[in-house]
Amino acid sequence: MFTIKDILKGLSRWSGSAKGRSFKELFKLFREILQLNSTILDQIAAANQILGGDFVFDKHFIEDFVDKLSTNVQKLIFTLNEMVPGKYEGLIEAYQKIESDIISILEGRYIGVAKNILFYDEIKKWDEDSVGGKNAFLCQLKSNLGIQIPRGFAVTFYAYQRFLQRNDLHEKINRILETLDSNDLTIKDAAQMIQDEILKADIPSDLKHDIKDATAKLKKQIGPNPLMAVRSSAYGEDSEHSFAGLYESVIGVNEHGISDAYKRVIASTFNPSALEYRRKIGFKEDEILMAAGCQELINSKVSGVIYSLNPSDPVSDTMIISSNWGIGGLIVSGRTTGDTFYVDRKTQKISSIQISWKDKKRQLVDQKRLDIVEVDEELKDKPSLSLGQIKQLAQCALDIERYFKKPQDIEFAIADGGIVILQTRPLRIKYRAGLYPKGLSELGKKHKVLIEDRGVTVQEGVGIGEVHVLGPGDDLDKVPKGAIVVTKYASPRLAPLMSKVSGLVTEIGAVTGHLATICREYALPALFNVSGAISILQDKGLVTLDAADRKIYQGEVKELFFFNLEQEKITESYEYRLLRRILRKIEPLTLVDPTDTHFKPENCETFHDITRFVHEKAVEALVNLHFAGISTKDASVKRLKWDIPLDLVIIDIGGGLEEPTPPDSATVTPELIRSIPLKALIRGLKCPGAWDSSPVSIDASSFMASLTRTFSAEHMDPKSLGQNLAVISSHYVNLSLRLGYHFTIVDSYLSEKIRENYIYFRFFGGVTEAERRSRRAKLIEEVLAYYDFMVETRGDLVVARIKRLNRPEMEKRLYLIGILIGFTRQLDVMMINDTRINDFKDKIYELMEMKNE
Amino acid sequence: MSEKNISILILDDEPIVAKRLQPALEKKGYQVESFTKSSQALERVREQKFDIVITDLKMEGISGMEFLEKVKNLWPETEVIVITGFATMETAKESFKKGVFDFLAKPFKLSEIIEIVKKAEERIKRKKAPE
Repeated sequence: MFTIKDILKGLSRWSGSAKGRSFKELFKLFREILQLNSTILDQIAAANQILGGDFVFDKHFIEDFVDKLSTNVQKLIFTLNEMVPGKYEGLIEAYQKIESDIISILEGRYIGVAKNILFYDEIKKWDEDSVGGKNAFLCQLKSNLGIQIPRGFAVTFYAYQRFLQRNDLHEKINRILETLDSNDLTIKDAAQMIQDEILKADIPSDLKHDIKDATAKLKKQIGPNPLMAVRSSAYGEDSEHSFAGLYESVIGVNEHGISDAYKRVIASTFNPSALEYRRKIGFKEDEILMAAGCQELINSKVSGVIYSLNPSDPVSDTMIISSNWGIGGLIVSGRTTGDTFYVDRKTQKISSIQISWKDKKRQLVDQKRLDIVEVDEELKDKPSLSLGQIKQLAQCALDIERYFKKPQDIEFAIADGGIVILQTRPLRIKYRAGLYPKGLSELGKKHKVLIEDRGVTVQEGVGIGEVHVLGPGDDLDKVPKGAIVVTKYASPRLAPLMSKVSGLVTEIGAVTGHLATICREYALPALFNVSGAISILQDKGLVTLDAADRKIYQGEVKELFFFNLEQEKITESYEYRLLRRILRKIEPLTLVDPTDTHFKPENCETFHDITRFVHEKAVEALVNLHFAGISTKDASVKRLKWDIPLDLVIIDIGGGLEEPTPPDSATVTPELIRSIPLKALIRGLKCPGAWDSSPVSIDASSFMASLTRTFSAEHMDPKSLGQNLAVISSHYVNLSLRLGYHFTIVDSYLSEKIRENYIYFRFFGGVTEAERRSRRAKLIEEVLAYYDFMVETRGDLVVARIKRLNRPEMEKRLYLIGILIGFTRQLDVMMINDTRINDFKDKIYELMEMKNE
Repeated sequence: MSEKNISILILDDEPIVAKRLQPALEKKGYQVESFTKSSQALERVREQKFDIVITDLKMEGISGMEFLEKVKNLWPETEVIVITGFATMETAKESFKKGVFDFLAKPFKLSEIIEIVKKAEERIKRKKAPE
């Protein structure tokens, strides 16, 4: 393993640039970087694959993984430093920071964002570690399912810890708990003492300030004098242990009362039942973290609770909806149970109703305070929900359950704007032990098995739904919620579906690919590489997918569904959570745009960022060094002689050109190119029609005008003239094109070894206004996504990547890029409206089809 | 149904292993008990014969190697499957010498261990068949 000392020694070995080094030397280092890059991404993908639930691993495995990965990332930084000594020292610091965070996580210390406040709109799935499950789950409803939630913000764990530290509360709490241990105190007294300490403590001034600012910002959205609800959201509350309902929510506080309500929520962390429960399950008091959610109070006409599955009789396959008039539905009614509706989950029809006498309700009085008032006489014995509302609520509950893959306990409110979900958490279902497993080994006798022992498990789980076969060009919006999607390729373009369907079956797909990662993120049952899936499952209607067992049954297999509910989700166990938390410091890519000023070593937040940064800079070093006057004595430099209006200089650093090329000749013809990826690109560039950008009737004169404008020297930086460069070897190409205002980079390694194959494509620029340019970016994005690239688009920048396809498939995609470069070079000029995107897309597909013929 | 009533004991000091294996094997119709402490597992084995024992090697207290030796002494018919995160050729060799049915390095796929359990089950049935 490298030490930091080694790296620093490496840094001082050379200073400044790598001038004087030959392309061959640099290319050797570059190849090392590519290989490390590939190994690191492999390791990350393998660790992610394990999260699918199909592997058995323990903590030792996680430690081992981190150790090996970390060593490779160090080597990567070291190798880049050999290419461009001393240029990116900030990488070491970034690396050390990430490494130390990972060690902290491994040692069980909490790592979250170092901010007091996060707004609901900015909270992401993984922010559960910063704002608690309750806040994070709620925000996912909005961002992933489009369900209405109250507007609001979270006060983070970071704020909680600082509040405790500032007031020496950790020490005070520990002292009280020690007294409790020595039996000199009752739990009730101890709880009271701790709560008193919290309530009289001061909120740090910056936190007070941040809460005030956040409230002011919220007021701009929801109006002056808002009433708020302040809710608890504890760490780990909703996963392994059931702290549900142990903590306090404060409903109906005005903006000046938020700080006090916050303290009450924090104090409730130490109420007697919570203390007792934690002691029972062996949860340490310093493991506790409490965040709060500050939400607008929804002025609801009706409110209540949904259990998406009847917990006392799950087999009945019904859900329970309870409701009452007014705000905070059932909380108010110690006196009444409210109305109860039992709803069939399949048909969403009511199977039984209990309407109670509802004489009191809580409601907003004078628009500024909550009070309990008498219900209007004629409403007291009326059902508080209409049939339509019940159906909507049931549908919403099933969507939420499908998303979280677990029955849910949901709090809702109905106001003028419709249904608003206030909270959702997993519902604990108790079964009679061993009721289901007995018959499970013989399911095949009762249910027709459509597919058995085919494919690989990407994410375990049971999904029940109607088969929906999805073709390559099909509209994703037309896929019904809850479907079992069956498709040919596990293309990244399917990602938006993964939060709303019940299962995914593909005929071809990489278990370590992007879509597989997304399936695991949403715990979506998924099977890849199921040969013949489309023809077998087409027209089969309702099916049950058991991804762990690699089986698909005709119809609904209830036993499996219930068996799955009964199990504690393995993906919720400690090791899975630990690995997921560690991967958050490793896997996400936050540095996307290499042209952004943010693209700097110090902004690398994950190992993936570092890997990406190093790759980008290694490519850049290779290209720039030529212009910096690097010795090319051991490389052959030629100008490409062809009839395409693209002036290309080729630098061959080994085996990229046919031998012998006439040594004196300054030019080379396309026929003499041996580099596998450049050959494929050139075929695309030469594709008849690629440089003829008039696929539909367009204004030819304006096209010609734009063409000449772009090529005219007055718009060009003199330095960029003739800077179209391809650095090649037998299996590699790095093509950088600077055509006027268009910048394109293609970096590709291509051989018979699938594992090493990749294409990286970057495109941006244009001469027209931003709107047209981004239309073109959208066209390129859609075309590339259609051909299974992973694409990121920001404005007029497109970055696309694809890895690990076999040589013919890769060549096909390089051919596509060749077409795209030629075809779209001027297209922004013609992107006068959105329908043009489709016209041009069809033309490109047509050109690709022609290739196949 | 009765032909599937093979009993399995799982011993691993990392709770996640049993947590993962037990339901998966139960789903296949096996009777499964699991332990995280080797002393307790040993007590249980003394009371009752299990058809298959799945054990980790590296544990506090009685090591997996000792445990499997004791199991084999008590019940020579029991098929033992070793799972370990510290797999070396030596440990593999040693455990095979002690009559282990198969050896699996962590992390492994559920389908892999189920396959091995199935093979162990077949062998048990073959042995019983002539009677």
